[in-house]
Amino acid sequence: MNLKETDLPGIGKKFVVTTRSGDKLVIIVHDDGRRELYHFKHDDEEESISMVTLDDDEARHISAIVGGINYKPKALETIEVALDDLIIEWYRIESGFKCVGLSIGELNVRQQSGATIIALIDPTHGKTINPGPDVVITANSMLVALGERQHQKRLRQVLLNGGG
Amino acid sequence: MDHLIFEIGLAVALIAAGGFISAKLRFSVIPFYILIGMAVGPHAGQIWHLDFRFIESAPLIEFMGRIGVLFLLFYLGLEFSVGRLIKSGKSIAVGGTIYIAINFTLGLLFGWGAGFPLQETLIVAGITTISSSAIVAKVLVDLKRTANPETEMILGIIMFEDVFLAVYISILSGLVLSGSSTLGGVLLSALLSLGFMLVLLIVGRKAVPLLNKWLNVSSNELFALIIFALLFIIAGFSETIHVAEAIGALLVGLILAETEHVHRIERLIIPFRDFFGAIFFFSFGLTIDPLALGGALWYSLGAVVVTLIGNFVAGMLAGRSAGLSPKASSNIGLTIVSRGEFSIIVANLGKAGGLLPLIQPFAALYVLILAILGPLLTKESKHIYKLLNRIFKFEKRNRTDEKAALGDDPAG
Repeated sequence: MNLKETDLPGIGKKFVVTTRSGDKLVIIVHDDGRRELYHFKHDDEEESISMVTLDDDEARHISAIVGGINYKPKALETIEVALDDLIIEWYRIESGFKCVGLSIGELNVRQQSGATIIALIDPTHGKTINPGPDVVITANSMLVALGERQHQKRLRQVLLNGGG
Repeated sequence: MDHLIFEIGLAVALIAAGGFISAKLRFSVIPFYILIGMAVGPHAGQIWHLDFRFIESAPLIEFMGRIGVLFLLFYLGLEFSVGRLIKSGKSIAVGGTIYIAINFTLGLLFGWGAGFPLQETLIVAGITTISSSAIVAKVLVDLKRTANPETEMILGIIMFEDVFLAVYISILSGLVLSGSSTLGGVLLSALLSLGFMLVLLIVGRKAVPLLNKWLNVSSNELFALIIFALLFIIAGFSETIHVAEAIGALLVGLILAETEHVHRIERLIIPFRDFFGAIFFFSFGLTIDPLALGGALWYSLGAVVVTLIGNFVAGMLAGRSAGLSPKASSNIGLTIVSRGEFSIIVANLGKAGGLLPLIQPFAALYVLILAILGPLLTKESKHIYKLLNRIFKFEKRNRTDEKAALGDDPAG
């Protein structure tokens, strides 16, 4: 996601968000408390496709919904928590992943990727904190790993393709 | 003096009626205030108790209008920050410079070509150069253009113009108000006013901690009194040394913008700015006799044409320098063409200096036309662009330029 913030003197602040899905969202926070959301096509910067005007209280409600404060979206593919350059990522293991049925030792995760698996949450067996090399990865479990960005990238490959 | 309050009440009611009509027609309100003022005044009649000549209250209405200017510029100073200008980036500095260079030069040429004397030419150039911040900001918000790519450039140019206006009015007021006729005397007074501004800004910056302490009062009444005292004392003192009082007010705003109470001051000032600002436009209208407009008509129309061309060209060039598309660039010129409060302030400066009386009706017509036409052009910018694109082929040229920049053969 790419976020750019600029001042609009006498009007307010402008935030331009280019999302991974390729959409461009422009948020104007007016000095008088109103918010305007504009949705642009990525190939046409001149004409917005649609726009919404919100009052201050409406904007707060909607921000809570979007931020998942009063509703947790189910489709959390990956959640990132960044500590400087260290990142903790959650991976949902789909049944199509090649790593399903292999143990962490067989996958040789640490040598292959550099990332460390710190927990495995299995819908049937429950949580395993700091799983050893003999723990087998099952489908539909949630895998939590710690590492830098490039380690996480390699780990994703390992999980998808089942080791080296 | 027995009908004074009643007359003022009548004036405010008329202004409110003008505002009401403009809201109904969804139009910029400034021309309506001026038109209402022009419709009444010394040439108007008297119906029973309703005296539309405003004879008794004329000096008072004029005074309220003067205060309106102070509030307008004081607020401009509060909103303005040097840091913001520096942060606004290179493209805006380039765009603003292009705009001022083209339009100020055209204004000078127009004044000279129309046969005005030097001082009047300088006033006319000021009137035609400065856009109306109020109308432009309002039009951008009303037409939902705030998210457009060219909006930063438009607001940047407006900010740039405000800086130009401040410096220009201070020099001009030294010229026009001092009454000295020798070149040395004129230079001296212009230097004096610039020096006064600099001293005030430097002292003001140093005094910020002190001001923070002074203004740290819980009583709203006392807070308002301190702010108003500062504003009127400094603006009034400026006038005594031939620096326009408007500039004094702007400087007070700039200094107080650095304090930690700036938001509280803004909240206090906005209602005063709106009320007295409206009276300012009305009182300007009062000074215009509609029957005397004929002599200024051709001058005003000529200036309007020059302004339209100059603004459009400057907008296209500024947009191109910032890498905007021709369509977005055309919006710049068509938006900043609106004229309003600042043109009238410059015209009033000419009046205060006892220059040609033609300046007032010229400015009135000019501002009326562009305060009405400007927002219309902004609204219809898409169609205007299509029309002009057919004649000038902006897009074709733009593509050729891009290809040339990429090192391609345009024929390929």
